[in-house]
Amino acid sequence: MEGEADRSDASADASALRKKHLAMLERLSNRHQSSSRPDKPGSSPPPAAASFESTSSFLSLFGESKRSIESRLGQCRLADPSLLKLQFDEISTSIADLEKLVAESSYYLPSYEVRSSLKAVSDLRQALDNLSSELIPKKKFSFKNKPARKEPTAPQPKGAEAENRDSRPAAKAGSLAVAVPDSPGFRNRANEVLAKDVRGLEIGEFTLSDLESCEVRLIGCARALFVHRLRNCRVYAGPVTGSVLIEEAENCVFLLASHQIRIHNAKASDFYLRVRSRPIVEDCSGVRFAPYRLHYRGIERDLEDARLGEETGNWSKVDDFKWLRAAQSPNWSVLPENERIETVDISNLSA
Amino acid sequence: MGLLSIIRKIKRKEKEMRILMVGLDNSGKTTIVLKINGEDTSVISPTLGFNIKTITYQKYTLNIWDVGGQKTIRSYWRNYFEQTDGLIWVVDSSDLRRLDDCKMELDNLLKEERLSGASLLIFANKQDIKGALTPAEIAKVLNLEAMDKTRHWKIVGCSAYTGEGLLEGFDWLVQDIASRIYMLE
Repeated sequence: MEGEADRSDASADASALRKKHLAMLERLSNRHQSSSRPDKPGSSPPPAAASFESTSSFLSLFGESKRSIESRLGQCRLADPSLLKLQFDEISTSIADLEKLVAESSYYLPSYEVRSSLKAVSDLRQALDNLSSELIPKKKFSFKNKPARKEPTAPQPKGAEAENRDSRPAAKAGSLAVAVPDSPGFRNRANEVLAKDVRGLEIGEFTLSDLESCEVRLIGCARALFVHRLRNCRVYAGPVTGSVLIEEAENCVFLLASHQIRIHNAKASDFYLRVRSRPIVEDCSGVRFAPYRLHYRGIERDLEDARLGEETGNWSKVDDFKWLRAAQSPNWSVLPENERIETVDISNLSA
Repeated sequence: MGLLSIIRKIKRKEKEMRILMVGLDNSGKTTIVLKINGEDTSVISPTLGFNIKTITYQKYTLNIWDVGGQKTIRSYWRNYFEQTDGLIWVVDSSDLRRLDDCKMELDNLLKEERLSGASLLIFANKQDIKGALTPAEIAKVLNLEAMDKTRHWKIVGCSAYTGEGLLEGFDWLVQDIASRIYMLE
């Protein structure tokens, strides 16, 4: 393999490579310079450019930062406990910078120096870890106790999952620390006809959630449609140019056209689809499929614009993620023709 | 210069990088891979299993493992952890409801020892959709600042639909992996 190397232009090549390498080093050092905080007390070693290809200057730089980190580690024991976390973070950043320095210098350093420097870095890190677990209770980025998982009600996974979900809104309020503007959609409604014409609104995603015995009529294109927890509903929707994601639907009828359709946890529902790719079901039972049957004035053009102008036949090519076998999945079926509904016309939105 | 070219030759063998691409279903993983490879993205079925794509990027060969994100097959992700140089976590920034799931799955992934050395790129995808959260908001929700300090990570907003942001993300990931591989020699 190595022999293939183009020897003829090797020198030109080498200088080009060298240039590239220098550029990369520069970018890297810029990056960690910009990422290190400005208020850090003289910790970050200067980027490698200054010490380019000199082992002794590397060693003195390295030694200096190492001593500085060690002394700051020592000071942590005397520090105000409330500031500890901040200090550890700063030290940790310094150690990472030091490691980066080694990485950037490694190609000209003798291998012994590389090894011993890396060892020193890992020792520093170890010392920091020991100290931080000693001084502050370890706070790892993890969910160690997810009680919902182990609840005694676990026998039926479906039940456990429902509980899990119910406990979520609280968690969500906490974790969604950002202010989320209410996205367009219909939520928490019952026994209503919910209609919306989104043409000309440049709508992004549209959400239908927690609806009971409603009829939803959507005219025009959306980029994405999210459906969550619907019971006894009929959903008549114009084309979706991105994807549709349905979770938890029971006794519903959907008329949907989209590039991708994913259906999770649906029971006893009928789907009249036009879809560019294969629809998928997961954790579903008693779901049936048929071709799209929706009409409103101008739907042909909307479908065309959404590149859904033609019937693809994909409505019947359903992948069941819970049934990875060649035989037909027992969870879904093709809706017999004599049970299919007539074309639904929603031209008159409010009727 | 002589030394550098010798090292280059040693490195030639290591110009391959293994990238694992995961995230919830419907986040746009396959679309990202196809888009960056310049392929048609208009017909993509949800991934039942995985796709492997080998692409040449800058002077590296990237082996990208794009593993399906449906709940049923998430438990198989771990079969792909070994030897991973770079991890790409893809987020559907317009799917606000499932951000908790997203955070939980990412947390689980990052606990994985075999991925501890991998550089982590987070793609806040679907930025083209109106109402999508910004990368900064996603970073906050996922609490990325609390991540283990030894992890190399970056979050980049992107749209697999328009292609925006994809190169920025891959540039960073490839450079970051390259700089680590240098260190090991």
